[in-house]
Amino acid sequence: MTRPSPSLDLDYALRERRVLVCVGAGGVGKTTVAATLALRAAAEGRRAMVLTIDPARRLANALGLERLGNVETSVDLARLRDAGVDPKGELFATMLDLQRSWDDFIASHVPPGQREALMRNRFYQTLSSALAGSQEYIATERLYEIHSRGEYDLLVLDTPPTSHALDFLDAPRRILDFLDQGSLRAVAGPALAAGRLGLKLMTLGGSVVGKALSRLTGTETLEELTAFMLEIQGTYGVFKDRAAKVKALFSSDDAAFVLVTSAHAANVDEAIFFHQRLVDEGIPVAGVVANRVHPDFLDGAPTPTAEELAAALATGGFADPGRPRLSERLAVTLEESRAIAGSDRRSLERLARGTRPSPLREVPRFDSDLYDLPGLWEMGRHLLQRG
Amino acid sequence: MSLLDRRLLVTAGKGGVGRSTISAALAVAAASRGKRVLVCEINTQERIAGLLGARDTGSTIGRVAHGVDAVVVRPDEAMRQYGLMKLRFRAVYDAVFENPFVSRFLQFIPSLPELVMLGKVLFHVKEGKWDLVILDAPATGHGITFLGVPQALLDTIPPGAMRAEAEWMRDLLRDPASTAVNLVCLPEELPVNETLELASATTRRLGMALGHVYLNRFVDPRFSPEERSAFRPSTADAPLDAAFRAAAAQATRAEMSARYRLRLEGELKLSVTPLPHLHPAGAFDRACIDELARHMAET
Repeated sequence: MTRPSPSLDLDYALRERRVLVCVGAGGVGKTTVAATLALRAAAEGRRAMVLTIDPARRLANALGLERLGNVETSVDLARLRDAGVDPKGELFATMLDLQRSWDDFIASHVPPGQREALMRNRFYQTLSSALAGSQEYIATERLYEIHSRGEYDLLVLDTPPTSHALDFLDAPRRILDFLDQGSLRAVAGPALAAGRLGLKLMTLGGSVVGKALSRLTGTETLEELTAFMLEIQGTYGVFKDRAAKVKALFSSDDAAFVLVTSAHAANVDEAIFFHQRLVDEGIPVAGVVANRVHPDFLDGAPTPTAEELAAALATGGFADPGRPRLSERLAVTLEESRAIAGSDRRSLERLARGTRPSPLREVPRFDSDLYDLPGLWEMGRHLLQRG
Repeated sequence: MSLLDRRLLVTAGKGGVGRSTISAALAVAAASRGKRVLVCEINTQERIAGLLGARDTGSTIGRVAHGVDAVVVRPDEAMRQYGLMKLRFRAVYDAVFENPFVSRFLQFIPSLPELVMLGKVLFHVKEGKWDLVILDAPATGHGITFLGVPQALLDTIPPGAMRAEAEWMRDLLRDPASTAVNLVCLPEELPVNETLELASATTRRLGMALGHVYLNRFVDPRFSPEERSAFRPSTADAPLDAAFRAAAAQATRAEMSARYRLRLEGELKLSVTPLPHLHPAGAFDRACIDELARHMAET
């Protein structure tokens, strides 16, 4: 079992690594974190690229991503100068078109002639869009492809919005299992070995198992699936080879993972579990980011009573109008805000214990959404030591 | 017709907006009107039972509150139940399901796991043991895919057993007298955008009827504009300073709540039910769910 190297943190990773993978449950702000990391690396002088799946419209606009379809777009960093930052490198962004990536992948690995029949098969559409793990698989495939071209110093991947962060690591195995002939051979047996298309029910194992299965799914569905498996058979080796290379890249000194979570209890549980999984797989973790943390405005000091606030208002020359009085409403508000901050604090202590020794960075909750370059820059102050 | 007179209510929304909380509160609200309710979670970490202060039920239906049952629908379990229904002979069933290769193979028939999970939920709707079934759907993109599986199968697969299943399921989902989709949203930019997209996907792509929008963590204004202009931090007094900052944040949340409520009402032409942002001193527990349920019952 590898331990994250003690010197590895987000600052170091932005300078030295070539691939950063942002992972985490859906809705925790992965895309914003990924964009911020790429922006910071670019400002420091690297040629950085963020690969995102489905960015919010305003973030896409901030990055100048109007076009779909795997186009690698240069992001204009001039607006950073308004924020007093002089960018030294270059930032690029691309929005992954998953269907197109699948088609490109098949086109470059399946010989023409076989390719057309495969892409027409209805099960190909399912494999490339609906099969669990297919988005995650093709996102890493595309990352690997761009990485091996070597045109960028740093790639930051924003992973697809999965319900479970773990889906991302399990994706290649699921795709390989799907394509593995073992399970199919058990059912279709000799017919598959003979490579014959258009199987009849009788040849479908001819067994009680084959017949029972076709009662569950319908004969033709099973036949069509078998045909698909025969057509895609030749690509199994390619998939297996690429999956192994991606895994090697992820465990290498070229790459590091960034685990993003909110302070919500359910997200924190999942983040701790996922962190352990990364460590077990020997994948370096550059940092755990707790996003949208509610700050404690009192920094741990006791909550003032309404009377104390009324006195402070009077001393400061403020009126105390209304019913309930301003001082009373302020006291309630402060108490509510501390209840949430306290609950976040307890979650984060658990997160810190559960993800040791990976560095933990906290990003406070911002009252408004941050979807422009200066906003992303601001988030970077909380992600990086250098601020 | 009233929302709670439907047979199936789907709870849909972006990840992290509180879908489980809303499903739990809606179940309590319906049960308080004498309905027998079943809440179904789809292959996820179980949350409903815990929110209602009950012990986890797992994939066996269990009582979690007065009048409320819950179950987590898992693909392997749903597949077994479907198998038993279709393969009436135990020996045949065992031959299929006890074969490890075959069990694995079944998981990889595209959309079959989703179909049998959705099928189990819809079977409980038809069965009549419950007046109302609440389906706590997977988050947005996955939720739309999940609910669209019957139609997707009808579009792609040749006639056969799966097709026959898909047909009655699709029809039940599209019957506005039986089924409605409730959207859960937060008064923030991203969830609101996603809710608008989800609403359009529900009616246009799935052909399903919309119910209510639950605007979760809604904040009412507490400070007047004149008071707000006085919230300038950096007074000499640290506690007052903190109070001003907390109040400024509260006022921003209240302003966003009002603004996004208007936007949702304007664009969706649906009833938007605001649910208050609760601040329990301890954990978010059953008392919180009951409070949200009371707000739902009032509207």
